[in-house]
Amino acid sequence: MSSTATTSDKIEYSEAENRNALIAVKAHLITGLLVFLLMMLAGFAMRAAQGTWLDIPVDLFYQIMTVHGVGVVGAAGLASTGVLWYFLRQYVRLSNTIVWTNYFIFLIGVVLILGSIFLGKYGGAWTFLYPLPGNSLGAWSTGSAALFQVGLLLIGTGFLILYLDFGRGILGRYGSLGRALGVTQLFGMEPLNIYHPATVVAGTMVLIVNFIGIAAGAVVLVMGLVNLYYPEFKPDPMLMKHLIYFFGHVFINVAMYAAVVAVYELLPRYTGRPWKTNKVFLAAWFAIIFLVMGVYPHHLLMDFPVPAWAAITAQVLSFGSGLPVLVVTGYGALMIVYRSGIKWNNTTKLIFLSLFGWAAGVIPAILDAMVTVNRVFHNTLWVPGHFHFYLLLGLLPMIIGFMYHLTGEGKEKAQSSATDNFGFWAYFVGCLMTSMVFLASGANSVPRRWAVHMEEWVTLAQFGAVAAALVLLGMLIFVFRSLFSLPKAANPN
Amino acid sequence: MEIISKFKREWMLLVVFIILALAPVRHFLEQSMVTHMLIQLPALVIIGWLATNFFPASWKERIKEWNRWGISGMAFAIVIMLYWMLPRTLDAALSEWPIELVKFTTVPLMGMALGLSWPLLNSIAQGVLKLEFWATFMRMGWLYLDLPDRLCSNYLLGDQRILGQLLLVAGTIWAFTWMLRIVFGVNLIKT
Repeated sequence: MSSTATTSDKIEYSEAENRNALIAVKAHLITGLLVFLLMMLAGFAMRAAQGTWLDIPVDLFYQIMTVHGVGVVGAAGLASTGVLWYFLRQYVRLSNTIVWTNYFIFLIGVVLILGSIFLGKYGGAWTFLYPLPGNSLGAWSTGSAALFQVGLLLIGTGFLILYLDFGRGILGRYGSLGRALGVTQLFGMEPLNIYHPATVVAGTMVLIVNFIGIAAGAVVLVMGLVNLYYPEFKPDPMLMKHLIYFFGHVFINVAMYAAVVAVYELLPRYTGRPWKTNKVFLAAWFAIIFLVMGVYPHHLLMDFPVPAWAAITAQVLSFGSGLPVLVVTGYGALMIVYRSGIKWNNTTKLIFLSLFGWAAGVIPAILDAMVTVNRVFHNTLWVPGHFHFYLLLGLLPMIIGFMYHLTGEGKEKAQSSATDNFGFWAYFVGCLMTSMVFLASGANSVPRRWAVHMEEWVTLAQFGAVAAALVLLGMLIFVFRSLFSLPKAANPN
Repeated sequence: MEIISKFKREWMLLVVFIILALAPVRHFLEQSMVTHMLIQLPALVIIGWLATNFFPASWKERIKEWNRWGISGMAFAIVIMLYWMLPRTLDAALSEWPIELVKFTTVPLMGMALGLSWPLLNSIAQGVLKLEFWATFMRMGWLYLDLPDRLCSNYLLGDQRILGQLLLVAGTIWAFTWMLRIVFGVNLIKT
């Protein structure tokens, strides 16, 4: 129970516990990466259909769009949790049983969601925005919309169980979440400890924000279910939208803050320099708790009933939210790498790429968060451009870089193979192209969520399909690496 | 002295239970949906919970054999809670005395099941249930506020809406105190 714990104060586990934990982390990574690959295939299919290269029935397009959205969010949550859990359990005692429980609950939720989409024909997008699930005009049944929401509810419950274990572990060691976050050090109630683990700070932030997000989800999903079976109950659509976006935006946003521990933990190993925490770092993480929770209204700026003050607040928060942790992490990473003699292998290249993706991906988001821009851009492909940039080049490289680290890359000090190098460049160029084509399409007012594109937009969609094929190629190499090298790899620590 | 005070406390619980069951008090609390759901029912649960403190150790041991990790007790409590959340059961309790009798029996039993099972529950399970109870407060509050129809034929729509507002207020205070306790270690309510 000491906040002056140094990074060497690590939790001891038995050999069997560590072996089991490593299998759990690998299962999270492999499952997450496989789902990402399938979702990229779905994305490629949609871009090819919009580019008239592939003939997909319209109803199937919206089902694919729904599975693509929910699949990516789920895979991001699962894989980033694997990264965070791997490092956090080194500082606080976490249960293997709980992490497996969440994993299997997740799989059951996925089965329900897949059933609702491909058997029940649910195609109302992963945002299940009220009142769409209950107004399908015969495209899907009430049962399939309900099954989708029950699947989400189940997955949320699994994560809730996991976060409660995080809470138990963190409170057991630090007494309060405030101490674990470093708030007591920030406000001078305790002396500053430069070795206070960044992973614990990030893990506590993830726990607080996602716990609240899931609580909102637990309410809004059940209210949606009540509406499906009792349509006389008509909740306020704006309130429903707020809660849905609070839950959904927080969940996907936090995936980045969970995976970023890979930067804090891996760069020091490859540069031989420790990641020291300071008051600016602690202040940034403390601020981001509130900013991440307050940023979602940039998805509501187009709704005319939103009062002007709320829209302006959303714009200010959106401007602010991308910056604090990004700045301390980006600056910290640059300082730790500069003249360190770092060996550039797949892990370090991907981790560094992730910082670029995160930093650059924030720019289109900030532009979109401006009320005047948002009114023109928000329902265009600009928005997928922003989050594809952020997720493909920011989040995924953190996860894939960590996967390479687990395969034992750092230990062997081996050169990256030509195949891995090719995978890296195919992935990087493909992701950059995918995002830029989306952004260019958005800037040219091409709408999003349209199965059929007008003739003038087809060329852009075809560029998008080529870019997506390149992403798929790179990802295929990463997934093969995870399937063939990861299962037999020993723990690199 | 201790035995006398324990004896007194046991009797106190019984006295409170009897007072709640007396026709004037019962009618007073049941004339409004708010007092029925936010005073009478919770009071019966609390009486049941506190009564478990006076159970002989041998009883507790016997029950524990059937209530490993508190699972059976919690399942029993949740079934009773769900039953009494149905509007028509509350209506029936007002108009038919046998149902009222069932309410005065099962709700304290639910409290007893909670009292015996909660301490046995794993802390993770406690957390999940706490969040689910909190979410139920918010969902019910929202439903009562927004529903165009009366759920209980014995109560007015206005009464239903006031209850909805109070449930939302209670849920908000609960979330706030919970947050203060976990994030900042400030204990407003000792549990």
